[in-house]
Amino acid sequence: MNYPVWSIPGIGGSWLVGLISVIHVFLSHFAVGGGIFFAVTEWLAYKRGDERIYHYLKKHSKFFLLATTVAGAVTGVGIWFSISLVSPDGTGTLIQNYTLGWATEYLFFLTEIATIFVYYYTWDKISKELHLSLARWYAVLSVFTLVIINGILSFMLTPGNWVESKLWYEGFFNPTYWPSLFIRLFVMMAIAGMYSLVTSARIKNKDYQDLKVKEKDPEDKNQGDFRAYMLKYSSKWFFPVFILGPIFGFWFFSQVPGNVLDNIFNGIQASGVGNFSILARAIYLSLILSGTILIFAYIGPYLNPKGFSFIAALAFMVCGLGVTAISEWSREMLRKPYVIYGYMYSNGIKVSEVDKINQDGFLAHSKWQPAEDESSGEFIFKQQCMKCHTENGYRSMTRLLGERDKDTIKGFLTLMHETDVEKNSYLKIMPPFVGTEAEIDMLADYLSTLNHKKS
Amino acid sequence: MSSVDYGEKFYSWLDERVGISGLIKVAEKKEVPVHKQSMWYYMGGIAMVLLAIQGLTGILLMVYYVPEISSAHSSVLFINTQIDFGWFVRSLHSWAANILIFILFVHMFSAYFMKAYRKPREITWFSGMALLVICFAFGFTGYLLPWDEIAFFATKIGLDIAAKTPFIGATLADMLRGGSEIGQGTISRFFLIHVILLPIALVAVAGIHLLLVQLHGMSEPESFKKAKKKKYEKFVPDFLVKDFMVWLFFFNIVAAVVALFPWGLGPEADPFAPAPAGIKPEWYFLAMFQFLKLLPPHIGPFEGEILGLMFFGVLALILLVAPIVDTGKNKFISKCFDIYGILFTIGFLGFTVWGILD
Repeated sequence: MNYPVWSIPGIGGSWLVGLISVIHVFLSHFAVGGGIFFAVTEWLAYKRGDERIYHYLKKHSKFFLLATTVAGAVTGVGIWFSISLVSPDGTGTLIQNYTLGWATEYLFFLTEIATIFVYYYTWDKISKELHLSLARWYAVLSVFTLVIINGILSFMLTPGNWVESKLWYEGFFNPTYWPSLFIRLFVMMAIAGMYSLVTSARIKNKDYQDLKVKEKDPEDKNQGDFRAYMLKYSSKWFFPVFILGPIFGFWFFSQVPGNVLDNIFNGIQASGVGNFSILARAIYLSLILSGTILIFAYIGPYLNPKGFSFIAALAFMVCGLGVTAISEWSREMLRKPYVIYGYMYSNGIKVSEVDKINQDGFLAHSKWQPAEDESSGEFIFKQQCMKCHTENGYRSMTRLLGERDKDTIKGFLTLMHETDVEKNSYLKIMPPFVGTEAEIDMLADYLSTLNHKKS
Repeated sequence: MSSVDYGEKFYSWLDERVGISGLIKVAEKKEVPVHKQSMWYYMGGIAMVLLAIQGLTGILLMVYYVPEISSAHSSVLFINTQIDFGWFVRSLHSWAANILIFILFVHMFSAYFMKAYRKPREITWFSGMALLVICFAFGFTGYLLPWDEIAFFATKIGLDIAAKTPFIGATLADMLRGGSEIGQGTISRFFLIHVILLPIALVAVAGIHLLLVQLHGMSEPESFKKAKKKKYEKFVPDFLVKDFMVWLFFFNIVAAVVALFPWGLGPEADPFAPAPAGIKPEWYFLAMFQFLKLLPPHIGPFEGEILGLMFFGVLALILLVAPIVDTGKNKFISKCFDIYGILFTIGFLGFTVWGILD
């Protein structure tokens, strides 16, 4: 409404943001979990005087540095570019509401990046104690980036009392803040283990056999097979999320709005195209993939580290990426029809402005096409529908309209104009149509050109 | 007494009655060759897991499915929309069936190109071919059961084509239909074949197939046999752990397809309605269907479709007799079978893709 629309044919804006975000999440979670991994593992190396672990960490940190600071940073900037173009109203609200939060996040991020560079380039150049301090310092900084971003991300789903009070801390420390923080922390540790499996699977024991070990791990049953030892060690990073994740997951879901849970449970039964079961299906898939990772981790690198191959480690990564993608996508879907729950719809229209716009007309409130002309219907479509739909691609309007003619489309839009969920069940997942009856006619007129049913 | 003692006691109790230590000794002895083509060894295991999924989901579907002409469609709709996780079970059954056929093709051709059918594995090959036919029959009979429009007409066309098989075709088609038209008799017969006869045949043939695989061990490709250094890994636990992980990974692929593209249900079949435009059989019959479409009604004095069916018969027969003809003694014959396999694969893939795009 306040900004021009960035139209992406085929996949639509939401998928573009989704694709960039999923890659970024997988890398940024590694950046935080990896920080904890370095701190703990280097402490073990220090405590036992195990040069093998030091040597491994040195190699692993190169991979870590490249993955997180290059790919992670590029995709992070990519998210900002894409969300500010796809959802400028929502992004604007987040910036305005949490200006200080973003600034602090940036500060932590900058220090975190600087620390990991120092960490990598000071291997064998500073004392072991100081290097261990760097690892711990990096872990703290990276966890703090999570502490801040988690407040803003969880705010979008459960802004809590903020909707009325507009007090930033009520939005930040919202109902899902704590469960979400812990779940993410455990997931990050698991992802750190996942990446570590990949680098550990590449270990060649002959490169490590001459390295000294002062005090052997009493639990090491691998008799000098360092590759097997590291694989087993990496697998242990999966267990916190599987032991504690369900408890925090239950806490998380107990805090999300009832309508959201209804949308999930409705999907347990039905699977037909057009209903909302995709949310339930996505959550099942996420659970199945998670279960697989657990079993994989247990029977693979934990019980049989010697037989665990590099290919299997990559298969782990595929499953992990799958879980990340589905979980993040589901989290975004849970918010529907809002971008900030109860405050702003996914098309950028504020809930509080709906009545006024209905009265004055959508075009009258639009900065980019206030006057009515032939393209008004298309303009309204781009502003109100195109955040989630495309003309012929993802959530294709042409497909969804089917054989409906203009009058039928108009009837449907009139139903969607209702703001009472008892009358308009689509409100559970789609914003209401906002505007006057004349604007319904304009939009229906345009939509009927998409499926060539204009009479 | 500690829990370990209980475990040992139970083990020796079981060992005395079942002879489990003997089985473990055999399993420990079993080795799997490690070479570049080792990945194909996993296909049989994946097929076995998919068959297990079929059995389990099939039993669950039978709880609500009604094999009666006026209730079949509504019972599937009920499963899809009213039963908790019903859509999941049904989608899993349908998707796993299709993926199973695909894996069986991969399994069959990997064995074919590795010449795994040669002595002493001839009967393993024959039983494998029989299993493929049984799975085709599962697919054909199961396709009709939801009694939706596409299922009805695809079955009708399939039976009409089958009826043209010389000598036995018409009688066989009538027996399957339970008369001249598809109706209640057909559903009853297909249901019975799908849930009783074929599972019995499957268990029997799969049992023989698995027993023979255990008896002869994994087949070794020629390049491996000639290699100076041969590497083997133990079946238990090394290969078995990897096998299990591959199964799990595969199950996830199936689950992803099921969750993202749940199996739909078309409108209820109306035998008196005209066949919908562009109707096609399942993808694994599509190559044959597409080929038959190309044939003219008559080739000389013969009906085109009859000649087409006979042609398919010959193609399948060549695959079937591979172990008898290509014994490895004659290089020329061996080469011929390689070329035949490549042409068969290209032809099958080409006609299937053409059928999908057409």
